[in-house]
Amino acid sequence: MNKIVHPIEPEELMAYLDGELPADRANATAAHLGECAECQGLVAELRNVSHTLKTWKAEPPKSAVSAAIATALAESRPISRGVTPARRRNWRQVLGQRWPTLAWVGAVAAILLLAVGVPTLHRGRADYAFSRHGEPVDSAVVTKTVREQSEARSLPSPQPPAAAKAKQFDRLQTFAQLQAGPPVKYKRWLQDQSADEPGPLPNGPMIIRTAELSVIAKEFDKARANLEAILKRHRGYVGELKANDSTGGGRTLTATLRVPADQLDATLTEVKTLGRVESESQSGQDVTSQYVDLEARLSNARNTEERLTDLLRNRTGKLSDVLAVEQELDRVRGEIERMEAERKNMATQVSYATLNATITEDYKAQLQVVPPSTSNRLSNAAVEGYRSMADGVLSLALFLLSTGPSLLLWGAVLFLPARMVWKKIRRSFAS
Amino acid sequence: MLEFQGGSHHAFEELFARYRGPLYGFFRRRLDGDQRAEDLTQETFLAVIRAAERYEPTALVRTYLYGIAMNLLAAERRRRAKDSPPGKEAPEPATREAPDSVLWIRQALEKLDDSEREILMLREYEQLSYAEIAELLKLPVNTVRSRLFRSRMALKGYLEPQRKSSDSAAAGELVERAKLAQAEGEAI
Repeated sequence: MNKIVHPIEPEELMAYLDGELPADRANATAAHLGECAECQGLVAELRNVSHTLKTWKAEPPKSAVSAAIATALAESRPISRGVTPARRRNWRQVLGQRWPTLAWVGAVAAILLLAVGVPTLHRGRADYAFSRHGEPVDSAVVTKTVREQSEARSLPSPQPPAAAKAKQFDRLQTFAQLQAGPPVKYKRWLQDQSADEPGPLPNGPMIIRTAELSVIAKEFDKARANLEAILKRHRGYVGELKANDSTGGGRTLTATLRVPADQLDATLTEVKTLGRVESESQSGQDVTSQYVDLEARLSNARNTEERLTDLLRNRTGKLSDVLAVEQELDRVRGEIERMEAERKNMATQVSYATLNATITEDYKAQLQVVPPSTSNRLSNAAVEGYRSMADGVLSLALFLLSTGPSLLLWGAVLFLPARMVWKKIRRSFAS
Repeated sequence: MLEFQGGSHHAFEELFARYRGPLYGFFRRRLDGDQRAEDLTQETFLAVIRAAERYEPTALVRTYLYGIAMNLLAAERRRRAKDSPPGKEAPEPATREAPDSVLWIRQALEKLDDSEREILMLREYEQLSYAEIAELLKLPVNTVRSRLFRSRMALKGYLEPQRKSSDSAAAGELVERAKLAQAEGEAI
């Protein structure tokens, strides 16, 4: 073997096989391989080693995303949303260079937002917003301004044609909005949205809230009507209701109420006004990790379903294989439906808190107004008489039976001395 | 990875789906017990999530992941070495379901030098490039290449003992040739 005829080192041959040579060396190697049998042999051997090693295959992993990962993922979300230091620098640079442009764009966007958003959200609350600040403003002016602003929405110009007063109105309303939180109408829309579909995972923890409240009411009927009104006001519903009217005691109403979770506190406060609070308790169960786990399993199952569907569509195979895939698909779909139901149930439980309310009537014993009828009283007296007579006879018999024997005994013992004493007395009287 | 760093849940799912199998294989081939391999795979992803904000795109995601996996593996091995009494060998890797050929490969790999075996396995099973291996093991690329060549030649000898005499002679000759070439390269 002559070393000089090999322009390619053995290591380079290996690197060539691994695709790690630069293009020019790779070309040279390929050319050399075409004519050198010895190097071909080495290449074959290297390939053989790789091939043999490849026969050791690790089985596919079994588990899906574990609960720990899902939880960590959920927790990491707000953190990981932050930008990296590198990106932060970039933003600063951009801001530094284009500050005036950005300021203009921001101002125009803010004005547009106010022009479009404020009238929609606050149309119903305009009067309230003003009275809050104690500035007497003519309500006609307010409605006029609102109308003007609504019209401004359709105009292409970013500046609404409203006058200085309108601007003042904007400021006032924005401030009022900040103080009062989102308007009821908008809030309700948000809640409706969230109630319709569980949607993506909310950012905060998911807590199933339960409260128990026991109230003693003086006016039971009024309290009950009020309870229904409160429920209606807070968009809750009755899960279960039991009314109980026992004689010799007050009436009781036991109800399981479901109210939107954010309305629970307000509802509780209002229900407490129905009467004197006897007992109250609240509890919360954190189901965030369960929910996240469920979501992860659900998404995995969906992926599986998709893969199976693709498999069924694109591959042709034996009938038994197709049937097996279909069976598996059925199973996965069943699982998905079950998990979806579970998820929906959990979301409902979280979005609707449970309030177990008990209303008891403040009972006062009342005078019996209607006496029982005469015939009843007569028959009752007859029954009573008969019963007391029977009782008397019976108790006499019992007395005789129980004390008779000892009476007879003592009678017999005392009879003779008593007779002697009696005779003595008679004799002394006679003499 | 950058997408995941930006808070995308979906990006993590994709990362997980793509690297779960390879990472599991990584641990499975280096440790006994499939459950432990599963656990360590999950731990790797957990570490990814926890360190997501510190991640900087200086390396490929693959190298980054295997870097974490290597650290976990080293920790696991240290723990095992501490737990098992000295003088007693670690339990033989689970081979109950493994066919003879796999057992044969494992035994041949055991005979290799630690560092050479790691390089070979990263190349053959994890399909990492020379540069990636060099970065992971903190070695120069040339060292990786020469060690890889050595380990492959040695393994060839271990895998075919029936032709051992002739082959090892050939391998020895080739190694010698490689060394000579390297020496020549350095001289130039």
